[in-house]
Amino acid sequence: MLGNAIYPLLATSWGRTTKERLGVKDFIEFPTRHDANHRTSKVGHPEPTQRQLDRENKNPMRIRFNPLTIKKFRRFRSIRRGYVSLLVLVFMILLSLGAELLVNSRALVVHYQGQFYWPTYGNPIPGTVFGQDYQHETNYRELARQFEAEGGRNWVLMPPVPYNPYENDFRDNTLPPSPPSTRDRHFCGTDASGRDVLARLVYGFRLAIFFSLALLLATFMTGISLGSSMGYFGGPFDLIFQRLIEIWSSVPNLYVIIIIASVVIPNFWILLFILWAFGWMGMTWTMRTVTYKERARDYVLAARALGASHSRIIFRHILPNTVSVIVSYVPFQVAGGIVALAALDFLGFGLPPPEPSWGELLQQGWANLSAWWLSGSVVAAMVLTLVLVTFIGEAVREALDPKMHTTYE
Amino acid sequence: MTAYFIRRTLLIIPTFIGITLMVFAITRFVPGGPIERMIAEAQRMQVEGGGGRASAGAGVQRQPLSDEQIEFLRQYYGFDKPLLNSYAAWLGKVIRGDLGISTRYQDPVWDMIRSRIPISLYFGLISMVLTYGVCIPLGIVKAIRHKTAFDNVSSIIVFVGYAIPGWVIGIYLLVWLAGWWDVFPLGNLVSENFEELSLIDKILDLAWHSVLPVIAYMIGAFASMTFLMKNTLMDNLAADYVRTAIAKGLPFRRAVFGHALRNSLIPIATSFGHNISIILTGSFLIEKVFNIDGMGLLGYESVLERDYPVVLGVLVIASLLFLIGNILSDVCVAAVDPRVQFD
Repeated sequence: MLGNAIYPLLATSWGRTTKERLGVKDFIEFPTRHDANHRTSKVGHPEPTQRQLDRENKNPMRIRFNPLTIKKFRRFRSIRRGYVSLLVLVFMILLSLGAELLVNSRALVVHYQGQFYWPTYGNPIPGTVFGQDYQHETNYRELARQFEAEGGRNWVLMPPVPYNPYENDFRDNTLPPSPPSTRDRHFCGTDASGRDVLARLVYGFRLAIFFSLALLLATFMTGISLGSSMGYFGGPFDLIFQRLIEIWSSVPNLYVIIIIASVVIPNFWILLFILWAFGWMGMTWTMRTVTYKERARDYVLAARALGASHSRIIFRHILPNTVSVIVSYVPFQVAGGIVALAALDFLGFGLPPPEPSWGELLQQGWANLSAWWLSGSVVAAMVLTLVLVTFIGEAVREALDPKMHTTYE
Repeated sequence: MTAYFIRRTLLIIPTFIGITLMVFAITRFVPGGPIERMIAEAQRMQVEGGGGRASAGAGVQRQPLSDEQIEFLRQYYGFDKPLLNSYAAWLGKVIRGDLGISTRYQDPVWDMIRSRIPISLYFGLISMVLTYGVCIPLGIVKAIRHKTAFDNVSSIIVFVGYAIPGWVIGIYLLVWLAGWWDVFPLGNLVSENFEELSLIDKILDLAWHSVLPVIAYMIGAFASMTFLMKNTLMDNLAADYVRTAIAKGLPFRRAVFGHALRNSLIPIATSFGHNISIILTGSFLIEKVFNIDGMGLLGYESVLERDYPVVLGVLVIASLLFLIGNILSDVCVAAVDPRVQFD
């Protein structure tokens, strides 16, 4: 749909050659997923002692990851660009989780009359607590200035960016948007209504990435459960859903989403539902095809002959063999979700107004052409995030499905 | 094969009905439809007609339209009948080629759409020709010179273009090249004094206005197309038949252009049919960014203004084009690759 389901197109290796990374012995050394899954006790081998069993139970990772998975992960790690991108992205997500500590109008620490206050989380502290003459929440930036002017032993430690994404910082002699200024600590300037751009970028990133991950979870759950049962059971069930998917994929997505979003005033969950309703088909179709192929293999027949139930075969036998397909779709789906949300916000059919969002910032940058910092900072943030995600995706794909190319001199 | 295409063509009917029925149902239950709009407009007229005096007592505004008038309007727009009946009536009109009348501009919807088609067509065709014209040679060069400096540098550029959607790049180009440096115009298709220009100036003016939108249009398809070309060509170069040809002493150039390239063009043909919907409906986002009066912008504005006959009209055209494009893609694939068997 809005995203990109064209991941196989990027099937080139730009890093080191695959031959380097994939020694021939790797093919011999590691058993297939299936052999590794069934531990058999052979004659002559002693039964595992209680201590060994305890160790395995304490360390479930040993059981869950079979050598092939570890091998794939090592191969992914050897693709530096993708691996570093993953680390950077995870770091960014973790930072955004603690955004309240970095970008906030509330102080990190206030030292007032020998007592420490930690206002970041929890209920707002009224101004009277710090000897101010108002009942509403303390304005910590004012307080910091006041304490500094007094020169006493009271002090306030503000976060690096002392603004939250919702407040309007109006200055006396200028009209927003105002350009970046390190003196006011508006590192990326302010937007058309005087809100700090960096603050909105950071909180917008958090919103976008978690929206995207939630969308990913929803589409994958549908795709995996529906797709693998379609491929496994086949028959009329498969046929009905095939036609349904065929019909549903022909809907001009973005347009219909816009029409629906213009009717209901969407919030986070409604938007998620709409995008899910028009985006579940791709994953389902892929899973159907993969399961269909796996089902024809001998191990499924063997498991069936041993009396395994359908659900056991699907979840314990077929699904582990399709994991690589599922994983290689993840980064591209994440990028697609971020872009879809930004597009809807840009058009004005996304999250309701006060929410910090990249699409809304793009819209402001588009409407205020002279305020270069608006579009500049949000485009830079988008480029950074999307390129990171795409690098990861390309590396994952390459790690799971290495391709060898013959080249001619 | 014929059975497959007949089935695909027949599937257009339920798909089309499904899409339009869904949107039709949605538009029926929305506040702010044509009748509410007319009431609001009549209210405004009352206030304006009453002058400054009326606005003071605006709190006690009466319903400006009588019940009979509202009833007449409901009948006129078919709101008095149950959903399926009025849908059937609407569908009957559409089949006869009547898309209704815009509730906002009172123009026939088909005329509005028809006047926008050439603009979308213009951008669609230019970007399609440029995309194919650049991507195929670039992909070939990249495949042959795999892992050289040229390949790596162009990969990075193409890669960024792949990660970032075209409309975002469009905004960025607009802000920098048009807003900041004044190199290119701020959107629109032609200058205001277009009518007074000579023919050559007209062409130059049009081209000057087209550069940025065409770049934005191209970026999305550009990246995927280049990689598709490169990867399939590399797969084919690694295939046994090319190796055999080279082993027999065929010059490399002839092995590439005579053997590998022909097979590599098959996947490119797969996406060819989708061009029809891109060419004609454009992209909402790019048309909005550059303020181009194409079909996409028409659809977007009609959603904003709750002009439902136009919304449905654009939807009808867009989904028909999309459905036909899908089938056309399959036809293309079947035409270029005799091995393909549809079941």
